[in-house]
Amino acid sequence: MATAALRSQVAAKWHEGFSRLNRTEQGISGLISFSQAWNIATDYLHPQDISDPTTVKKHDLTSVKVAFDMINRSRRLPVMLETFLDAICNQYHLITRDIVQYLAEYEQSADTSVMLRLVYRLVEWYRAWAPIDELGPTIRAAYTLTFQTQLFSILPPGFVRGFKDLCASTLVPVAQHTPEMWEAFEILGLTDRYEGIIASVGYERIEAYVRETCTAKWDKPCLEGLRGWMSVQIVPWMLPMYAKGALNTEDARGMLQNVGSRFDFHMNKTLCDLRTSEIFDIIIDFPDSMGALQDLKECLQRVDQRASLVQALRKANRKRLLHPGADTKLILTQYVATIKCLRIVDPPGVLLFKVADPIRRYLRERPDTIRSIVANLVGDDDSGDSLVDENEPIQPLQQLETEDYNDPNWDPEPIDAGPDFRTNKPSDVISTLVSIYDSKDLFVKELQVLLAQRLLAITDDNSEKVEKERRNIEILKIRFGEAALQVCEVMLKDMTDSKRIDGHVQSQKASIVHPTIISRHFWPSLESSDIVMPGQFQALQTEYAKEFSTFKPDKKLRWLPHLGTVHLELQLEDRTIETDVPPLEAAFIELFSEKNIWTMDELIGGVGTVDRIAALKALLTWVDLGVLKEDEENKFRLLEIAEEASPPPRAAPAAVEEPTVTAAQQQQADQMRLYWKFIEGMLTNLGALPLDRIQTMLRFAPGYDQTVEQLAGFMDAARREGLVVGRDGMWKLNR
Amino acid sequence: MEQLTTSLAPPRANPKPSVTNSSQQVAGSVAKRLTNELMTLMMSSSPGISAFPKSDGNLFEWVGTIEGPAETIYAGLTFRISISFPANYPYVAPAIKYDTPCFHPNVDINSGAICLDILQDKWSAVYSVQTILLSLQSLLGEPNNASPLNTDAAAIWDTPDAFKTQLMKYYRPVKDTA
Repeated sequence: MATAALRSQVAAKWHEGFSRLNRTEQGISGLISFSQAWNIATDYLHPQDISDPTTVKKHDLTSVKVAFDMINRSRRLPVMLETFLDAICNQYHLITRDIVQYLAEYEQSADTSVMLRLVYRLVEWYRAWAPIDELGPTIRAAYTLTFQTQLFSILPPGFVRGFKDLCASTLVPVAQHTPEMWEAFEILGLTDRYEGIIASVGYERIEAYVRETCTAKWDKPCLEGLRGWMSVQIVPWMLPMYAKGALNTEDARGMLQNVGSRFDFHMNKTLCDLRTSEIFDIIIDFPDSMGALQDLKECLQRVDQRASLVQALRKANRKRLLHPGADTKLILTQYVATIKCLRIVDPPGVLLFKVADPIRRYLRERPDTIRSIVANLVGDDDSGDSLVDENEPIQPLQQLETEDYNDPNWDPEPIDAGPDFRTNKPSDVISTLVSIYDSKDLFVKELQVLLAQRLLAITDDNSEKVEKERRNIEILKIRFGEAALQVCEVMLKDMTDSKRIDGHVQSQKASIVHPTIISRHFWPSLESSDIVMPGQFQALQTEYAKEFSTFKPDKKLRWLPHLGTVHLELQLEDRTIETDVPPLEAAFIELFSEKNIWTMDELIGGVGTVDRIAALKALLTWVDLGVLKEDEENKFRLLEIAEEASPPPRAAPAAVEEPTVTAAQQQQADQMRLYWKFIEGMLTNLGALPLDRIQTMLRFAPGYDQTVEQLAGFMDAARREGLVVGRDGMWKLNR
Repeated sequence: MEQLTTSLAPPRANPKPSVTNSSQQVAGSVAKRLTNELMTLMMSSSPGISAFPKSDGNLFEWVGTIEGPAETIYAGLTFRISISFPANYPYVAPAIKYDTPCFHPNVDINSGAICLDILQDKWSAVYSVQTILLSLQSLLGEPNNASPLNTDAAAIWDTPDAFKTQLMKYYRPVKDTA
């Protein structure tokens, strides 16, 4: 039930609309002409199927223009546009069909030219459907937006892959069709939408190139070369995309700056990652890997990968270095190389500190670390590569200093330094090695042991070696200080004094014995032996000792016969044998001058007490020389006349070649043996005791310094030996 | 040999009887001597004799162990003794008694007191725990029947079977708990 007001309003609207469409024409002729114009326009704009030529109609552009003009005048253009865009959506299945077809072809052939054709085809569609320019940029923009939105909504995932391949294919080598292709991308809006993918193509190319050219090439820095490659290969590729519309190089440079630095960063990061993964081997190769280290240093300034470098190196060390299979010397060498390498990469030493910590802790647990370091300090002849650089100036051991804030060159600690970070500014490797341990006393002690070994090994023929040792000690004095090496000094003096004393004694009464006279208190404890030299050796010794005591009445010689060597000339019935042998061998053969057949036990009894294995070894030396023969088990006969067919040599028992000087470890074992006496004593008299009681009672033992844990370990070892039994926490002797 | 000489040599402390040193110094030098003796005893491997301080706090009270010498009537038996050092040791002999009942002509079966000349009038500062223990061990096999403390034992010493019976009647094996 319409009211009169409503009616009049509707009538007014209708009239207004009518007059707009009809304009001022007569009757409805305006209306008719408008509808004709509408038809022409929509027909012109209707998205055609370009793959079907029959449907393509030719339009009279003039009439089309007139028609558009009329629509515009009737202010019906927005409606027109809407209709047009709807039509595009409706017709888009045509494009979808094409895309699916092309992609299927691409899937099969994997040929990027198919992708390129697809792109060009899409551009064709875009052009075919585009409205004429006369309609103004607004309509054009609306069209482009709709076209692209539709396009992106229907592009299947496979397209992205293909697109990436296509981009990549243009990179090596820079293809000729590049500019048109980028233009096509631009038209379709692919550049903006897939910017990430295009960039990733660049990144991947950089990564691949870095890996390909820099992997395991450490001798020269790669970074410069890579930068050059970037500017030759990557930049031209980037130009059409990132510097489109650049009028001159200046312009282009400005446009590329942002993306360029991103690519450069990526290159740095890739190289950094690569070097990080190789760091362990780079260190092994040092100093041939100098270039790689310089690269790494430069990269680390650009990319913050310090933490991952530390992590990677620590992991590699744990896996490849700090395990029982690695020789201590090797670990030390690698540690020193690590020090040198990381000093190049990071001069303040934060990285080094973080990496070195586990190595140092591990080395501290190794029993022979000190020995290895000291051996290196004195420059063992047999090992060619020394840890210490010959050219490195010798300087006193550096104590860790507190920060000197008055130093004008003082730098604050780097930000990633941990709380317990300590710079060891001096680049002295030895100081660093010695600082693995808390005190240098251990080194000095081991040094004495080593020096003793080396001095005792010196025979008359190469006495200039004493001079060499003296030189070593003088050098070490600079490091460790005069006082610490006083004992070594005495040892060296003993050597020269021995020569002098020997000279004097010989002048009084010539003797073939040339002893080295050492001061017991200053030498490390020497392995004692109970060998008593028989026969003429005994006589020679006594004679010499007598002469010595007239020369030095307040001193007494105590012989350590097992440390010497004897030059022997054996005169047998049919032959003479000349040889240098250890004293035990000489002692045995001396016994054979008394009678021809000896049993093992008689022989051992004849020279005091010796270990059976050592005795057998000594006897087998003679058997090998064809002087003795073992007729039956443990019965030896002197072969006055050589026997032709000697029996196959009996395999010498694997006697461990023990060092003549008891190493620090051996001394500790001796110490434990002393403690065992005390434990035995207390358990005998006091019965079963708990562990802590034993620990407190052991304070009667001189120099007892073991912890309860160590004692527990020791008691456990004694239990395994069957010496004690432990029950309910009480230990008692096993009897 | 070296060690033996140190323990046999009189200690550095001044042997003058008029003690002018403070008692603490004396105690210190005695403790040092006892520590040395302990060390010597531990390192010497005399079979069948041993001694050790009772507790870590008191160096003057020791427990000793003597095994009966082989081929004597005491063979296979183990005796525990207690040794108590006087403050002026070694100028005065330590007081020693058997804790394990010992049926022996020169040992009191009840108190464990020992009649041995070197522990009384024949004592000398050159003796040590080790020498005392060795003397006690040999005393087991060769009692001095001339001055018996246990007359019963002295009476039947010459009849080993009877002696052994009596010995085993009194003997209590050493227990392992202190």
